[in-house]
Amino acid sequence: MTKILFTDKLDSCVERWRSAGMTVIGPVQRANSSVYDAVKSASELDLNLVLTDRSIKELFFPQSEPMLRYAITKAEINTDEFLPPSGPRIIFGARACDASGLAIDDPLFGWDYKDEYWFQRRNESVIVTIACTKADEFCMCTSLKLSPDSTKGSDILLRPLENNKGWQVEELTDRGREAFKSVADLLQEGSDPAAATVTVPEKFNADACAEWLKNPENFESRFWKEISARCIGCGSCTYLCPTCHCFDIQDEGGSFEGIRRKNWDSCSFALFTMHTSGHNPRSTQSARWRQRIMHKFNYFPGKFSANSCSGCGRCTRECPVDMGITETLQEISKLSQ
Amino acid sequence: MSIEQQYRTRAKELLSAGEVKMVIGYGAGTTAERRRPIFITSPDETERLVLDSACIANLSGYLVTEGLLSDEKRVAVFLRPEGIRALNVLAAEAQLDPLQVVIIGFDLPKGELKSLQGSSVDDFTDLLGALKESTPDVDGRELLEKIEKMSPEERFAFWQEEFSKCIKCYACRQACPMCYCRRCIVDSNQPQWVNTSSHTLGNFEWNIVRAFHLSGRCVECGNCDRACPVNIPLRLINRKMAQEVLDSFNHFAGTSKTQEPVLASFKKDDSETFIL
Amino acid sequence: MSEPFEPKITAFVCTYCTYAGADLAGTSRLKYAPNVRIIRLPCTGRISPMFILKALQKGADGILISGCHPGDCHFTHGNYHARRRWMVFRALLSFTGIPEERIKYSWISAAEGLKFADLINNITEDIRKLGPFDQYHKLIEETQAQASL
Repeated sequence: MTKILFTDKLDSCVERWRSAGMTVIGPVQRANSSVYDAVKSASELDLNLVLTDRSIKELFFPQSEPMLRYAITKAEINTDEFLPPSGPRIIFGARACDASGLAIDDPLFGWDYKDEYWFQRRNESVIVTIACTKADEFCMCTSLKLSPDSTKGSDILLRPLENNKGWQVEELTDRGREAFKSVADLLQEGSDPAAATVTVPEKFNADACAEWLKNPENFESRFWKEISARCIGCGSCTYLCPTCHCFDIQDEGGSFEGIRRKNWDSCSFALFTMHTSGHNPRSTQSARWRQRIMHKFNYFPGKFSANSCSGCGRCTRECPVDMGITETLQEISKLSQ
Repeated sequence: MSIEQQYRTRAKELLSAGEVKMVIGYGAGTTAERRRPIFITSPDETERLVLDSACIANLSGYLVTEGLLSDEKRVAVFLRPEGIRALNVLAAEAQLDPLQVVIIGFDLPKGELKSLQGSSVDDFTDLLGALKESTPDVDGRELLEKIEKMSPEERFAFWQEEFSKCIKCYACRQACPMCYCRRCIVDSNQPQWVNTSSHTLGNFEWNIVRAFHLSGRCVECGNCDRACPVNIPLRLINRKMAQEVLDSFNHFAGTSKTQEPVLASFKKDDSETFIL
Repeated sequence: MSEPFEPKITAFVCTYCTYAGADLAGTSRLKYAPNVRIIRLPCTGRISPMFILKALQKGADGILISGCHPGDCHFTHGNYHARRRWMVFRALLSFTGIPEERIKYSWISAAEGLKFADLINNITEDIRKLGPFDQYHKLIEETQAQASL
């Protein structure tokens, strides 16, 4: 016997959580594009998507976040800090790759300076992940040693029932248990079997790729130019990525007053490394693509012992020229044989 | 012989004879429906070329890749009529020498692959002239008409919702053959004309600037619209502006390699009904 | 009681004609609405559409762009170039929902002090009737606020 949340009870759950002061967030459609956003009722949720177009990271690391307001006069400099919005949130219907992506970035945002914008939101969010029963040709979690029902980063894991009428509830953390305590009477004990999770074929050998990337001889390999020849240098792969975390701090306003903001930035852009002198140490797109791959599968694991990729496949799915991590690592797997 | 096979042979001949150093074409993509740009430099590789109704992307932007044409050698490229127009605009704006470009022309009227005769931009003058007179086939015409009928407040609200999704990945800019500026206006910060943050205000500004810089230059190839990862209907703005320059100045971008850029020229009797 | 709405209008003018016209209005002791902030530029050809966006970004309710009559440009054809640009930019703004009525264009020569004063009074009244540009101001306010989620 396991705890079961039936689909027809979901709306009551949402209502219960909302009346307890929680912001309920989930996958929704917004003007022909799918995102995670706040909802008022369960009917707004789109739980049939393989994956939202945009990743979960923006709920913790928004594309543009105000940090402080400054005003400079002859006599003094005044600053007012902005804090992230506070209050408990429940993210219902995350995918395992998205939730894992958050867990991958946790050590990054806390290794020396603890980024309060990230951690305040992390500490106040309950992540309810639904195991995947379908995937598309871009999904690649299994190549990253994750799976459609990974629990990494999640507080609750829901397994869809075979009859599609609800989910088996697995409580993973105290935070998850706490959130589900308030809806305990809406859950039922049952023995309905869970549907099988989708089989995502393994597309490359991440370990072999890591070895190849670590070899200094391969840094200047012709491979980088060939694989990225068609890259147009936009930032869509990095901005849709659940683990890409680079940002730029910009003062928006004038010299005497304005707002300091933390904005997403992307290693795909030439401007990312441009020096004031005009010199650019990463002067070609191939050097930028190499950096992205090296960072995710060599430098980041070197520091935090995990690949900075959770296998969501958004990079390939949305790439205007059909590039992406999958192809690059497949090619590296071949080279490393 | 299929058009695809004919064109593979042609690419092979061009490379073997040393007439071109590279062929820019389409290859198989990640999925059965996808095609990706490929760059062929050896005659043996021409079998990788694919040509079918999925070859929609405009490849002309790769021609202005830094250093590609600076050795004065020639490059062949697969282009649809929009791509040929883009090539003309690039030539008219002195970004490349069109004589260095060998066109492998094709079209996809109603998804049906058709070959186009000719290899140099001038060979397509009549075709492009006829295009100017025809009614363009736009995906979303109904929506465009709906937007035009809205009140300004409704139009603002419509675009506010669309632009609020923008993440400023600049895929629209990077995918556009006309966006070749070495330093884009949003990357310049002295002065910083528009907000680079991607809050809705900054997104509004960016999208207006982008559309304005493309007015009278855009050939409506649709690269930006397809590139947008959050599906902002950029084609509608481009369509609107193309119609505007056609109606006001009888200008259709990219009809010849010496066409005067519409916003860098004027007529003394240009309409001015709105000036007090 | 809240203050009555006073529109903020930014005027971009060329130095040779409209600015001189404004000067004449002043020296002629003509009285006109004080709602306009004038920014002087060498020529209408120098008025980039970026200026209009910047004025809106800074909270303008209305914008005036003015220069020499056709044929009178100090640089012979700066205003002809500008006219084309405005034509296109105006259509673009209108399509994105920025009302045409908020952005005015005029030709005012150095001799037209009276026209300048009248124009300023008229457009101030027009914009006053339209009210503040709330839709745009809301976007500006959003940039000053905490992230939404």
